[in-house]
Amino acid sequence: MDKKLGVYICACGGNISDYVDIEKVREAVKDEDCVLLARTTMFACGDSNQKEMEKDIQENNLSGIVVASCSPKLHLTTFRSVSERAGLNKYNYVHANIREQASWAHSGNKQGATEKAIHLVKAAIAKARFAKSLEPTRIKSQKSVAIIGAGVAGIKASIALSNMGDNVYLIERENKIGGKLASLGKVFPGNITGEDMIARLNEEVKNEDRITLLTSTKIKECSGNIGDFRIRLQDNIETGEPAVSEREINVGSILVATGFESYTPSEGEYGYKEIDNVITLPEFRDLIKNGKEGKELVFKNRKIRDIAFIYCVGSRQIKGENKYCSRYCCSAAIQSSLDIKERFGDVQVYHFTKGVRTYGSQELKYAEASRSGDIFIQFPDKDEPVVSSEKGVTLIKAKDILSAKKEIEAAVDLVVLVTGMVPDSDKSVGSLLKLPRGRDNFFNEIHMKLRPVETVIDGITIAGTCQGPKGVMESVNSALSAAVKTHSFVSKGELELSPIVAYTDVKTCEWCGACSEACPYNAISKSEEDGKVVAIVNKTTCKGCGMCLPVCDSDSIELTSFTNNEIESMIEILAN
Amino acid sequence: MTRIDPKFGKKLKRYGAFDYDACYNCGTCTSVCSLAKKDEEFPREMVRYSATGNQDEILSSLKPWLCYYCGECSTNCPRSANPGELMMSLRRWLTARYDWTGISGLLFTSLKATVIALLTVAAGVILFAFFMNFDPEAVMKYGHYFEMAAISGVFAVILLPNLIRMWYFTVIKPGYKVSFKAYFIALKELFIHMFTQKRALGCDDNRKRWFEHFILVIGYLTLLFTTVFLDWFGTDSLYVIVGGYIVSAIVFIVTADFVTGRIKKSKEISRHSRPSDWLFVIWLLLMGLTAFIVRIAIDTDILHDNFWIYLIHLTILAQWALIIVPFGKWTHFIYRSFAIYFSKLTSN
Repeated sequence: MDKKLGVYICACGGNISDYVDIEKVREAVKDEDCVLLARTTMFACGDSNQKEMEKDIQENNLSGIVVASCSPKLHLTTFRSVSERAGLNKYNYVHANIREQASWAHSGNKQGATEKAIHLVKAAIAKARFAKSLEPTRIKSQKSVAIIGAGVAGIKASIALSNMGDNVYLIERENKIGGKLASLGKVFPGNITGEDMIARLNEEVKNEDRITLLTSTKIKECSGNIGDFRIRLQDNIETGEPAVSEREINVGSILVATGFESYTPSEGEYGYKEIDNVITLPEFRDLIKNGKEGKELVFKNRKIRDIAFIYCVGSRQIKGENKYCSRYCCSAAIQSSLDIKERFGDVQVYHFTKGVRTYGSQELKYAEASRSGDIFIQFPDKDEPVVSSEKGVTLIKAKDILSAKKEIEAAVDLVVLVTGMVPDSDKSVGSLLKLPRGRDNFFNEIHMKLRPVETVIDGITIAGTCQGPKGVMESVNSALSAAVKTHSFVSKGELELSPIVAYTDVKTCEWCGACSEACPYNAISKSEEDGKVVAIVNKTTCKGCGMCLPVCDSDSIELTSFTNNEIESMIEILAN
Repeated sequence: MTRIDPKFGKKLKRYGAFDYDACYNCGTCTSVCSLAKKDEEFPREMVRYSATGNQDEILSSLKPWLCYYCGECSTNCPRSANPGELMMSLRRWLTARYDWTGISGLLFTSLKATVIALLTVAAGVILFAFFMNFDPEAVMKYGHYFEMAAISGVFAVILLPNLIRMWYFTVIKPGYKVSFKAYFIALKELFIHMFTQKRALGCDDNRKRWFEHFILVIGYLTLLFTTVFLDWFGTDSLYVIVGGYIVSAIVFIVTADFVTGRIKKSKEISRHSRPSDWLFVIWLLLMGLTAFIVRIAIDTDILHDNFWIYLIHLTILAQWALIIVPFGKWTHFIYRSFAIYFSKLTSN
């Protein structure tokens, strides 16, 4: 073999060298086949050593390097960059982990640790001998995006993307935009109403030339991959609106913002549908909105002087499935309480809560409500209030945690069930795009904190309440961040994908379909090559996970960077 | 099962409570309270009962009387809900509830009623003097009789029945079984607390205030006893006269310090004075002051020609004995010590 390899063994300031005799390791590997130079270093990741490595590569015209140091999680990219800077294709770099896997793991056995380190470095050298230069797969990306759902999240994302220069298809199943926010009154914090906010956004959408608004439209089919999704659209028959001609759009990325649905209490839950003055928070919001200001609040010909809110209906359930907190409802209930007092004068409000969660500045609203005479009763999680109607009087009986669970009751004219958020009951978008859902049944991001808007499907991002309960502020935040992420997929018109993918040998492949079945990304399809039916891997969809390799009977699939040659030569060294 | 009563809160506000409905029940007040004990926790519990309007619980509780308004609860309240002032207001409300005549409630909640009551008593004194033809000898003689009659009358007709009501609400109605013997054994507590206010020492940094209060109580009790029952106003003994001056001077300085404390609002306890509080300290001051002046007038032999000096004193005294003692803040002298007594009885 004509490879010229450089090997660097790191002391990690003693983390490695205190247990592994790195000089002995160097001695053991310096004469391995293809090894041109082998050095030890105090800190391989240190600036001076990186420069040293660059010099070595250039002066000796090295065609591969191995660094034996810590976990590749820490410094794989560091040393790949070193090779790139020195003009060596980064895939010629091989990493050996002799810290987590040798010195730290066997600190009680220095000799053993050293022997293991020698094996690991030799295996890395063996792999490096077969390593090939690879170039990323470049694919063309459509400079357009689809946004599914025109609620506040979808609208804000579409305006942001349009401002960044992308063509946006804003797809909405209803005949108008705005989603749930459009029908809300005053939304905390601040005094602006949901209607006003949507009206303002509607104007902005109209002024954006790059936004194509498609209302009363549903998604029928979706195929393709990042950079090149094809979506078939169909007019939404249920709304009975005139048909937008059935069409197909081609986009580079999809942003999903399909929103939430308010929890519907089951019949009899706190007297819902059984006692006629028990309603949900959304129903109550409508009642406030339609009531005449200055006059008394009237419901079913009954003057409303005392109102009870029962919190956490459909959220934080002890028996039910919805274990999560819906985040917005405490604040929404308190905002409603302040609204009614402002619009309809003196109303006594009772709040039956599981503990008020008005986080952030919403806390001030809570203080305002409690100062204005609202009475808050916290009931035990497992001992929920009972709503009953006795001789025409609606009573709520509860145990007050704050006075040693003493039983108290309130007589009210109206009971409002503060219902939480549940995922949209229309599951079609989720299943067409194959978006994974979490335990709460909302769409799942890759990582809650570190990759909060990406999904495991490349090129598809999520925003707003389809991901989980959020307030307006949080929805817009997530929408804008998803917009930026989506933009990054399409902005260059071209995408670089990792070259570590599977490929089939069409000569030996006898299509059996096992690989296609094993593939979690639908990247392998049946195809005809030179009159023969074989499996072909779609380079843009393949993630290089390797699931297809062991199921292939004829051994016709290989994975770049992890070829049979590379792996077998490593095993041979390690097994000796 | 108790019905939540939001109207109670509105009523309580007329007794001085404010902002207590901002409470979110964190319990900081109870945990910082120097006087609350494991089996006697307050004030959070009382704040809660006030918010939900649970009058029965409050009426049967002695806890408002066990609070001495150190003020730490209000200082440390994260919501500025003033638990200390709420406890003060509950004491006013309880005083009103114990009073069978209902006059206490009227005076605590209406400044107008208080002013009318004060003026009525003043007019009565003037009228009485008028019928005596403003004869100093006669007025002073009957004035002295009046003092004794007023004290025993007020005690028998107002204070004793009210005390029995307090006992009924806090001991009998809640169903405590107390043996006859226990009433005797606990009497010690009653007298110790009545004359020393020992419990107030439990407040942090309260030694000075306690001492001043102690001097006041002992001083005024001495003056009351010597002037009313022994009639030492008419004495010629030099020892008594000099002693009287000294006691009066000390009591004065202390009372004046209490009044200025309320004016300066230097401590939590004096920050939110109500008319009933002002009335109490100012009349206390006036009573001592006028008595002092009368004493000087007697000793310099000018009283006979300046009879109005005595009339003013008698008016103040009558207002004190007929309004403030039976229906005003003075009653805390009795209720506080009896609360400790009853609490001793019910804790066994």
